[in-house]
Amino acid sequence: MLLEVENIAVSFGKVAALRGISINVGKQSIVAIIGANGAGKSTTLRAISGLEKLQEGEIRFEGEAISNLPPDRIVGRGIAHVPEGRRVFPDLTVEENLRTGAFLRTDAEQTEADLRSVFESFPRLLERIGENAKTLSGGEQQMLAIGRALMAKPRLLLMDEPSMGLAPVVVDEIAVIIRKICAEGVPVVLVEQNAQMALRLADYAYVLETGTVALEGNADSLLDNDHVRAAYLGV
Amino acid sequence: MVELLAQTGLNAIYAAAYMSLIAVGLVLVFGVLGVINFAHGELFMIGAYVVVAIYADFQMPYVLAAAAALVFVGAVGILMERTMFGPLRDNPLGGLVASIGFLLILQALVSVQFGVRMEHVPPVTQDVIVISEKVRLPVQRLAVIIASIVFLSLLWIFLRKSKFGWALRASAQDREAASLQGISITRISIIAMFIGGALAGIAGALTAPLISVNPHMGHSVIVAAFIVIIVGGVGSLEGAVVASIAYAFVHTIITTFWDGVIADIVGLALMLAVLIIKPTGLFGTADRA
Ligand SMILES: Nc1ncnc2c1ncn2[C@@H]1O[C@H](COP(=O)(O)OP(=O)(O)OP(=O)(O)O)[C@@H](O)[C@H]1O
Ligand SMILES: [Mg+2]
Repeated sequence: MLLEVENIAVSFGKVAALRGISINVGKQSIVAIIGANGAGKSTTLRAISGLEKLQEGEIRFEGEAISNLPPDRIVGRGIAHVPEGRRVFPDLTVEENLRTGAFLRTDAEQTEADLRSVFESFPRLLERIGENAKTLSGGEQQMLAIGRALMAKPRLLLMDEPSMGLAPVVVDEIAVIIRKICAEGVPVVLVEQNAQMALRLADYAYVLETGTVALEGNADSLLDNDHVRAAYLGV
Repeated sequence: MVELLAQTGLNAIYAAAYMSLIAVGLVLVFGVLGVINFAHGELFMIGAYVVVAIYADFQMPYVLAAAAALVFVGAVGILMERTMFGPLRDNPLGGLVASIGFLLILQALVSVQFGVRMEHVPPVTQDVIVISEKVRLPVQRLAVIIASIVFLSLLWIFLRKSKFGWALRASAQDREAASLQGISITRISIIAMFIGGALAGIAGALTAPLISVNPHMGHSVIVAAFIVIIVGGVGSLEGAVVASIAYAFVHTIITTFWDGVIADIVGLALMLAVLIIKPTGLFGTADRA
């Protein structure tokens, strides 16, 4: 297993956000995490990235414990995170945003090549290369956030609600990009409220309810599951 | 009248020059660490006392004393980060209170070592550039203006062109997102505190031969620095520079034609007006208030 999340618990004061969650991510796969508002999806990703402290449990990446390392060290291990709400740097240009993603890299030539390939995948970013990120549309900002994460040359990509607030056409574009990222060898953990999109893309999926894993299984089988259909797909 | 205006303009440029150095450091530290460093005025004061010790007392070259002030006060900035702001991260109020405590400690240490009387720093040069009968620019003041321009330009280039400069700006805009790019918040905070301290220290060193040096001199500049930052927009480096220049002009002109108290009142009124009309400051963006 590439990533092993073992029985982790996270609290905010008295509020227990995660109460013992276990998740596994293998190589070559898209793993979806779906669930309602406040189920703990973002907290799970934030715990993996070191933004939230674990009260219990352990996280291993490529066989080594990364629990409670600071976020910058976890990026150094090879995990990139596209945060909820995109969080691009508003007053940095598109190019500067992308280059910040490569902050830890020392392979200058390969970094330039990766920058070119991000611009090939996202031609609209190239058109706006010198403009401040705050002037981009929501879809462009999401692409910038994804491109920025790819510039770290990650071996695992965490994505938190990339479809949020985007028009259906743009959501389709993002889905194509996620498939492509995985096909190029970078597994993706995809957190989504848009269960339809997530389950269609994913190989395996977890359903979170109030800080626990309520259900897990192959994405295809969850698409047919009665509970999932009623609660998350609205059919 | 024209000559009086010209002379006032020169005075204002001088005041704006060193105020910018102080205000930019304060704003940089606030932007990156999220704490208001109340001891920032005392870092300016320490810079002046480094010159008192090395140049006035030990009679070493002035340039050496100024360089020492830059490095030493920058190091004091790092010390503050390691002992206070680092451990109190995610607790901006705690950082602010700690910085008030540190301010008192610095004042007490300096008073014990040097006494509370004003220090006389001998002039580095007595030369005066005579532009006309009534318009004169002492070379020392010109040096302050030039040095400030040089240091602010260097800072600008660093922020725009270097990798760590980007990292500082990114951290000021979104600290958490910056950490997700592999930027160490600890390291970036240390860099910000060094730069903030070094700029305040060099401002103190540059002005030491021109103003009265005493353990409480930090108070007068910190009020002005806050006004400048609030008018300019908290978190915006460009805003702080523009605002400090504008404020120093207004302040000097009012002091010359009326008096200093009225100038302070006008400054505070200006600050209130900006807070009411545009709470994020003239140049600030909405996401940090
Ligand atoms: N910083 C915080 N302080 C206090 N409580 C928090 C904090 N962050 C999250 N929570 C709480 O933890 C729980 C899980 O939140 P989380 O953000 O992980 O949910 P989510 O599944 O991502 O929801 P959404 O779909 O709305 O993004 C919620 O009850 C939330 O209110
Ligand atoms: Mg969320």
